[in-house]
Amino acid sequence: MKVSLSWLKDYVTIDVDVVKLAEALTMAGLEVDGLVDRYAYLDRVVVGRIVEIAPRSHAETLSLCRVDVGNGIKPVVCGATNIKEGDLVPMALPGAQLPSGETIEAGRMRGQASEGMLCSEAELALGMDSSGILLLPETAKPGLGVAVALSLSDTIIEFDLTPNRSDCLSIIGIAREVAAILKTPLKYPKVKLPPGETPIEELSSVTIEAPDHCPRYAARVVTDVNIGPSPFWLQDRLHSVGLRTINNVVDVTNFVLMEMGQPLHAFDFDRLAEHRIVIKTAQEGQAFTTLDGVERTLGSDMLMICDGKGPVALAGIMGGLESEIEDQTTRVLIESAYFNPITTRRTAKRLGLNTESSHRFERGVDPVGVRRALDRAAQLMAELAGGKLAEGVIDVYPRPIPERVIDLSVKRTNRLLGTRLSQDDVGAYLKSVELDVEPLDKDRLRVVPPTFRVDITRPEDLMEEVARLRGYDQIPTTHPVSHVVARKPDKKLRVRDRLWQLLAGCGFLEIVTYSFIRRDACDQLLLHDQDPRRQMVSILNPLTEDQAVMRSSLLPGLLATMYRNSKQRNENLRIFELGKVFLYTTPDELPEEIEMISGLWTGARHVKTWHSKESKVDFYDMKGVVEAVCAGLNIAGVRFAPLTGTDFPYLRSGYAAQIQVGNERLGAVGELSGEVLRNFGLNQVAYCFDLNFDRLVDHVSEEKRTKALSRFPATTRDMALILSNSIEAQALLDFMEAMGQVLVEGVEIFDIYTGSPIPQGKKSIGLRFTYRSFERSLTDSEVNEIHDTITREVLKKFSARLRPE
Amino acid sequence: MKQELERVEQEALEAIKGVSDPTGVKTLKARYVGRKGVVTALLRKISGLPPEERPETGRLANELKKRLEKAFEKALQAFEADRGELMADALDVTLPGRPLARGRMHPITQMTKAICEVFQRLGFEIVEGPDVEWDYYNFEALNIPRDHPARDMHDTFYISENIVLRTHTSPIQIRVMESQSPPVRIIAPGKSYRVDSDISHTPMFFQVEGLMVQENISFGDLKGVLTTFAHQIFDEETSLRFRPSFFPFTEPSAEIDIRCVICRGAGCRVCSHTGWLEVLGAGMVHPAVFEMVGYDTDRYTGFAFGMGIERIAMLKYGIEDIRKFYENDLRFLEQF
Repeated sequence: MKVSLSWLKDYVTIDVDVVKLAEALTMAGLEVDGLVDRYAYLDRVVVGRIVEIAPRSHAETLSLCRVDVGNGIKPVVCGATNIKEGDLVPMALPGAQLPSGETIEAGRMRGQASEGMLCSEAELALGMDSSGILLLPETAKPGLGVAVALSLSDTIIEFDLTPNRSDCLSIIGIAREVAAILKTPLKYPKVKLPPGETPIEELSSVTIEAPDHCPRYAARVVTDVNIGPSPFWLQDRLHSVGLRTINNVVDVTNFVLMEMGQPLHAFDFDRLAEHRIVIKTAQEGQAFTTLDGVERTLGSDMLMICDGKGPVALAGIMGGLESEIEDQTTRVLIESAYFNPITTRRTAKRLGLNTESSHRFERGVDPVGVRRALDRAAQLMAELAGGKLAEGVIDVYPRPIPERVIDLSVKRTNRLLGTRLSQDDVGAYLKSVELDVEPLDKDRLRVVPPTFRVDITRPEDLMEEVARLRGYDQIPTTHPVSHVVARKPDKKLRVRDRLWQLLAGCGFLEIVTYSFIRRDACDQLLLHDQDPRRQMVSILNPLTEDQAVMRSSLLPGLLATMYRNSKQRNENLRIFELGKVFLYTTPDELPEEIEMISGLWTGARHVKTWHSKESKVDFYDMKGVVEAVCAGLNIAGVRFAPLTGTDFPYLRSGYAAQIQVGNERLGAVGELSGEVLRNFGLNQVAYCFDLNFDRLVDHVSEEKRTKALSRFPATTRDMALILSNSIEAQALLDFMEAMGQVLVEGVEIFDIYTGSPIPQGKKSIGLRFTYRSFERSLTDSEVNEIHDTITREVLKKFSARLRPE
Repeated sequence: MKQELERVEQEALEAIKGVSDPTGVKTLKARYVGRKGVVTALLRKISGLPPEERPETGRLANELKKRLEKAFEKALQAFEADRGELMADALDVTLPGRPLARGRMHPITQMTKAICEVFQRLGFEIVEGPDVEWDYYNFEALNIPRDHPARDMHDTFYISENIVLRTHTSPIQIRVMESQSPPVRIIAPGKSYRVDSDISHTPMFFQVEGLMVQENISFGDLKGVLTTFAHQIFDEETSLRFRPSFFPFTEPSAEIDIRCVICRGAGCRVCSHTGWLEVLGAGMVHPAVFEMVGYDTDRYTGFAFGMGIERIAMLKYGIEDIRKFYENDLRFLEQF
């Protein structure tokens, strides 16, 4: 909300610098967002002395002036007739932006150079006279800014108000806070109504059919008004806080809105059917055209102001086109009401209308202030539009807002705040913002907040008042005393930490991508029709189509990241993401959230350096990463097997493996299929892994037992086999494991070879066995004997033969 | 003779100090320990000494010769090292080493951990909750009823009428309080979502929410804990400013500014020339929230606070555009 300092000064004496004031208000909870020089727009408008006016012929309406603007004499073409040589006038220099929005440029008019514009009062928004150029006082010096020359100074204070402080949505509301801070009295405007004529009851009536939605409705009628422009002071006030001016009657309602925070509405009394007001809810589906010319469809829970025939205004939000004040209006009905905040908010939300009026009703206006604002508006209309008042006022108040009485314990206040305030201190702070305070006993206070403080309903609200008025900086900083209770972090958190370290150790950069992705991401990944990941969670109001559904896989994020980096020529990527995916369950349940860990490696295994040539990443690099991570997490029994089923259609068949622990499948690793890469606009080979982190965690063992180390030396023996290509390495290793030879410490595959001289359909595998005993040094013959036994068994089992030396 | 030896040694060592190039060292070396050098000449004189002195003097002279030779060698090496002269078989140690791929955690992960660790040291426990949340936990239980203007503070993504993407990690407070009785000391990091996208907002962002509830927790304690936090995350010189504000689930509520870490309060673009940076929201838990979870409001008080992790990371790392965090450009990630 914007507040003009000079307007504020109408109600409170301010003798401190505006910057200090702004800081004090911020520290009292009314955050000042900015201070703006009201007359900044006059920065490029300077005092000019007319040195010469070139004579003009009858036919011409423009004449060429030469104007001294302090640092030189400039030519200006001007059409005004009220100026003469020697006059001091405001001259807008090139670059100046006038309140009309026009930007002054140097140019040529009628073949003459013109380097600015001489301005009227109206053009500078300094008055209403547009008949001629504004003549400045003799004392003004050419070149001086016009604002300085006219001693114009005002600051617009911009507030970022919190939604609880509806009482501060007015100049007087802010002035009240200023008065409390500066400890100075608040001056309310004096309202004095001229005597009325025709009793209002003879002219009109108000019926509230929906008292829950409209607890109070007051009205006055002003007759014999002359609609016309408002006086300059009123226009200036409205302009200062960013409001437009319409005509004297409407401007008065806006002025009172800003001054007191009570939204008002002025109806053309003669356009109200039967000259009466009925407040009731609308009929479902009814059409209504608001002031802004938009036809709106009403709902049955929307509160309408109606005349004898039908709706004339959306209660508390916007008037109707049919009853607005027009130039020929002579009689005005002023509405000042208290509408239910929830009713107002629901309607405003549903219609997408947010007005100065609805903003205040939603937050709650002062139910008692309704009358004061009505009288203030009536008085100003009588003064400014030459109107006569109808005698009396209609004030229907079927649901009086009850007085709130709060019992406040000073002890509890001190306990919550950590202060040692006396009962008197607490009382004084509350009284400074117009709360009614009476001591009940030694500890307690009976507090009645004023009706405009709709935010104060319970003792804690009062404690907050005390704290902010004392100043948060005055509350001592202490440290809580509490029992030492240390819980071990959740296993998941511990595993996550370990995983981060392991993947970083493998050279992977962590990425974080948005949880929402494109709706067609599942198609891009070629997911099967029945794939559970197609059960996506949709966002009703997404920002863009690229962020329309919650992700059910981390791969789209990894691939989009690869794409974005490829555009930056970052072609070698090793990235991973650890995050949740979301699967739709039923409409009445939250989606299932599963934490996944996925990685992507594309480009180089080693980049080209002076040491070595570039080599490209392959399947076994990525498998190595998964193995390292599983080993690092101490997961036993991890196995890799060819893909089965349809869960991984995005991996290239024959170039990918599923990752299992026992019979449980945790994910897969492999090369991304070319089609999927193309779907994401990519054409560089990439490998990925995709694991269910939640299930991985279950298999992580945090137990560590060391093995004893043998004191005796190890001996190795190699075995070079030729066997069928279709036999998997895992089968060989499993077989040897199953043989259970205690002296075999380990078996490693050190060579794989196909091609001549190995026959077609066969491969050669080189195995290295390590033998060691815990009891003694093994002799060659002992080792040879075991090795020969194993060799025989293996040859038999796998129909293999030994590769000739 | 013995004195003569000592004098020669002194003289030679002095002379070495005064030499400015290797040639000088070589000349000196020849003068003292060369075939026609001073020490050699002395050695020759030994034969002319009385026999009983000869062994001792001979030993001393030989030792002197060795010492001087070493000193000359050292001086020569020093010159070579200074001039960076390479020995024929030496490595070019300035060539880059063989690169090892170095992975990193995302800056937001790093910042989240750093923040959580401060509170863990203070005995807070990390707790998490769902990203897709009931409207009840995200709003209603936090004293933000439907149709309350405070909902305007949260531009919400909806999944259905009753399910939202959480707009803060505060619903975790409620979930924890529903499941345990005081004392409570938790810190809840996680993703949050709001319908917003510009240079300082992303539709998804990270928050850390904290909650401490027990008997006799005061606003002063809140100030103490958050001051400790700011001092550990920024530095001990960081001053804080607590300002009244409004959050429906706390009362009194505060916004906490720190002295601008860029200009130290002098006023700069980052702090919009105010000298202060808003980094935290906090307050004493609203009794309506305690009532909602069934805590005894006569007995317990507590405080809650929340902060945006990106905001703190941006200040610490000098990042101007929040969107950089989620673009995941390699050149950005590799800086952390």
